[in-house]
Amino acid sequence: MPDGSRREMALGSARIEDILRDLKINPVEVIVAKNGKIVSEEEQANFEDELKIVRIVHGG
Amino acid sequence: MLDQAEKERYARQIRLFGEEGQAKLKKSSVFIAGAGGLGSVVSIYMAAAGFGRIRIVDSDSVELSNLNRQVLHWSEDVGRSKAKSAQETLLGINPEIEVEAIMQTIDEGSIDRLLQGCDLIMDAMDNFPTRYLLNRAALQRRIPLFHGAICGFQGQATTIIPGKTACLRCIFPRAPPAATFPALGSTCGVIGSVQVTEAVKYVLGSGELLLNRLMLWDGLNSCMDEVACQRSSSCLDCSAIPEEMQS
Repeated sequence: MPDGSRREMALGSARIEDILRDLKINPVEVIVAKNGKIVSEEEQANFEDELKIVRIVHGG
Repeated sequence: MLDQAEKERYARQIRLFGEEGQAKLKKSSVFIAGAGGLGSVVSIYMAAAGFGRIRIVDSDSVELSNLNRQVLHWSEDVGRSKAKSAQETLLGINPEIEVEAIMQTIDEGSIDRLLQGCDLIMDAMDNFPTRYLLNRAALQRRIPLFHGAICGFQGQATTIIPGKTACLRCIFPRAPPAATFPALGSTCGVIGSVQVTEAVKYVLGSGELLLNRLMLWDGLNSCMDEVACQRSSSCLDCSAIPEEMQS
């Protein structure tokens, strides 16, 4: 999760965009890696997938 | 060719990559976008390492609230141009190099001229719209872009080689919402140092770069992680560029 915590969710198959919405995370503010690889939020995730939700930082 | 003073100045680096490697750094022309927190770390270490020509661009003046992290600038510089302050600091660190400081906004109208003659782009900006401009300019010129960004204890970095790796827009298709970000100087230190290390390795042609890898620094948990990325066939910025066998 963006705050560094881990969370297990019981899923069948769901679009990442929907998972983010359920978690109340604005998709514009994050990128999502599925099993270590950045994917579009339109991608499906299944119960065995590990998602890493990374908050995009923009400062310099 | 290095003179005697340069051989002495860079003696510890010459032990690392030889006079030949040092001469490669000397021949490099670097564009540093921003003289803020990241730009401070990036420019100081690039100047000290002996990158021969540095062009640093920033349109702002130094504010007191910058000084917790923008180590290019000192208390006496408050109110002065960041570009000018940066130039003085960098030449104080290393008078053997050329430093060009430009007080200007990087935008569609200025970017072509600002990048003329530069071999590498160091992203030390504080916003994504300008980063996308740098990304497109790097793609058009086929020169590398060394991305870094920070917020509070967190940071990210990657190295973009046009035609070979994911570009910035492949990784971040949309800009995150603009907001005033919290900033810790040491986070700039971590990410800026990674960017400079990447640039040194790129110029020397040594080591493994952060290609198609987004490095993530979580200072709060003292954790370095990375996620893989790849070119997107639907990317508006880089999809027209053919794959290359090598950089």
